[in-house]
Amino acid sequence: MSISIDALPPFKKGEIPVDRKYFSTTSSILLITASALIAASLFFPWWGMEFFAPQYPEGLNIIVYPNKLEGEIDIVNGLNHYIGMKNFSEANFPELRYLPFLIGGLAILTLITGLLKRKAILFLLIGFFIIGGMLGVWDLHRWLKDFGTNLSPTAPITVEPFIPPIIGENTLANFITHSYLGSGFYMVAAAFILLIIPLWKERRR
Amino acid sequence: MKKWVPAASGLLAGFLAATVFFADLSPAQRSEASNDTNKSNAEKVYVPFGEKDEYYLFASGGHSGQMFIYGVPSMRHIRTVPVFSKDSATGYGWDTHSKEMLGDYTWGDLHHPAFSEKDGDYDGKYMFATDVGNSRAALMNLETFTVKDIINVPNTSGPHCAAFVTSNTEYMFLPTRFAVPIGREYASLDEYSEKYRGVMSAVTFDDKKEKLNIAYQVALPPWSYDLSDAGKKVSADWAVMTTYNTEEATTNLEINASQADRDYIVLFNWKELEKMIKDGQYDEVTGQKMIFPEKHKGGIYLVPVAKSPHGVDVTPDGKRFIASGKLAPAMTVFSFEKAFEAIKKEDFAGERNGIPVLKYESVMEKEVNPENALGPLHTQFDEKGMAYTTMFISSEIVKWDPNTGETLDRVPVQYSPGHSVAAEGDTVDPDGKYLIALNKIAKDSYLSVGPSHPESMQLIDLSGKKMEVIQSSPVNPEPHYAQMIKADKIKTISVYPKDENNPDAVYSQDQTKIVRKGNEVHVYGIAMRSKFIFDAKVERPDQIEVNEGDKVVIHLTNIDFDQDITHGFAINGYDLNIEVQPGQTNTIEFTADKAGTFPIYCTNFCSALHQEMTGYFLVKPKK
Repeated sequence: MSISIDALPPFKKGEIPVDRKYFSTTSSILLITASALIAASLFFPWWGMEFFAPQYPEGLNIIVYPNKLEGEIDIVNGLNHYIGMKNFSEANFPELRYLPFLIGGLAILTLITGLLKRKAILFLLIGFFIIGGMLGVWDLHRWLKDFGTNLSPTAPITVEPFIPPIIGENTLANFITHSYLGSGFYMVAAAFILLIIPLWKERRR
Repeated sequence: MKKWVPAASGLLAGFLAATVFFADLSPAQRSEASNDTNKSNAEKVYVPFGEKDEYYLFASGGHSGQMFIYGVPSMRHIRTVPVFSKDSATGYGWDTHSKEMLGDYTWGDLHHPAFSEKDGDYDGKYMFATDVGNSRAALMNLETFTVKDIINVPNTSGPHCAAFVTSNTEYMFLPTRFAVPIGREYASLDEYSEKYRGVMSAVTFDDKKEKLNIAYQVALPPWSYDLSDAGKKVSADWAVMTTYNTEEATTNLEINASQADRDYIVLFNWKELEKMIKDGQYDEVTGQKMIFPEKHKGGIYLVPVAKSPHGVDVTPDGKRFIASGKLAPAMTVFSFEKAFEAIKKEDFAGERNGIPVLKYESVMEKEVNPENALGPLHTQFDEKGMAYTTMFISSEIVKWDPNTGETLDRVPVQYSPGHSVAAEGDTVDPDGKYLIALNKIAKDSYLSVGPSHPESMQLIDLSGKKMEVIQSSPVNPEPHYAQMIKADKIKTISVYPKDENNPDAVYSQDQTKIVRKGNEVHVYGIAMRSKFIFDAKVERPDQIEVNEGDKVVIHLTNIDFDQDITHGFAINGYDLNIEVQPGQTNTIEFTADKAGTFPIYCTNFCSALHQEMTGYFLVKPKK
């Protein structure tokens, strides 16, 4: 199936399109913007955790990008071995290898939806978004649980298994951790809002 | 129709994005402390936690062979950097590199430190130091505050008159305190004037390789060379140094070297000496290019000065040099311009040991004689070019104007200052603000520790109309001179970067290994909080087992790339201890000449389980 802009039904400025299967050019622009935001989020951190201790007033960081980890990972790993936690490394997270493609795919899909202007596809897209978001939260929680509960039994310091929160503060021994969502996440959240607007704007009255 | 909904959502999205990218959520900057004018002396020297001192003080450690690093104005001792002496606190003298640098010497006498310079100002990159005890020169890197190179200086015996570097660190000159025959050969003291020489060495520095090298030497007359300074700006090609014992006395110097009314300042043009070397005007002796001034003429002149002078200091504008007899009441201001003029006109009073002597009157600009001041030793300068001279005998600092000779202020210090150091006070651009008197006698200043006393450093505030002593700090023997540099000029590293090209380094646990080559055992291990791993693949990764008589080479890398996580490595009973700083790879070599069982442990407290950071060094006895 090939669709060109010419094939779209004509409508006058300010008028609601006659065919309710399609949405307006304004909405289309919103979607294209959303697609740009999603693509840009690939280059920004999505999630992070900052560790503070009396000896580390400057904080240690784990910063998660769609395709890499940044921050003082080696130092955090060196300290975590005292409680028997596994090492954080890029190799340990297969998501870092396919996430960029998923996010890139979503950006392309959003762009196509914007060009096609078809409401049905927009619904589908929003559905993808919601499912993807839930999967993402589940996956992050899964990893946090894995790292916090599968502790080596021979570690010098025995701590109760724990699950660090996805957002917020946690205290463990001399460390206080702050988990937070990164700018990449906020860009995608903004993109999601841009996706919802056409729904509201072109709802049936 | 609710048109505002999409508009509001759009605004919200935009605001969200703007907040994420542009909002500054960090807490507001702490406001600067209130200005200095109303501060008490205690407030002037108090540096609260979280703030840092304004200046670094590098004080020579004298016969401790070390360099002391202090913060100014707090006068807190921050670090002792070993230079010419072993230091078990840092493993200096045990690891392969420092052991090789120190050679067989066990001590040194670090006298006058000097920073590397660019356009006559400190560049904060390197520090040079000289050893009067065993005639060596050292180079310290200021990214790591560690010594990179030490050279032995032949023919020069006790480079007290050093180190001074030229305006762009072209040369560091090392004139000698003691005259000896060239090659330090045996010669009776009856032949002193004929066979002995006061050899000055010109040392160059290769900053790529971080190596010192002797470019050439000058066989000056057998006098004692005391202190020196390089010219600046108009006099940048020149240098001056003081002499004593021009009497060439060979015994009881206290009396016999104090007979002549005048000694000399040696004034030399190092560019000209450099050219003479290029033109082959030198003799090759003991493997060195040696200029003999009586034979290879030019570039060196003598200026008469009040007897037994100590310091000679060039003003920040490079136009004058100031010297004084250390038993005299007066400072003499000499003019470079007048000296150049006299040299041009060959207006000489004669020759001494083949070197032209300028007339005192034709170079001298003025004599400055503050009332009852006695024993002027050394002069520093402030941002206005005003001079501060230490008076050893009358135990005070005298501030005076080199332009007019007027005495501006005086302040007593406790007791007997040798040198003083002002903030960047020997550069083309002094800062003023602070001066530290390096006092030779502490006497009753501090809590008594018995008959042996510390030395004393007193911080003097130069910012007011009157000089004021605002802090006093005891210091180990013995700062002879110091350098004070603005803290932001020094750019240190806190962790050694990974060097993937270093064949001795291993950066992960699984790459550790112990390799045997005949009767040599090479260990490639790591130290981390809180364990040693020498070979990760064996049952006990923290054990090293060798045979009696084996040569053991241990390369140890600290893989804690974290600020201030230094590990030590000691073998109990084997008299060995080294240090590995964060990210650093260090090597120790020795022969396992004692059979038995020897615990290994981390000497530098590193973590909560530091006590557990141990292993065993097992030496199987010969059958």
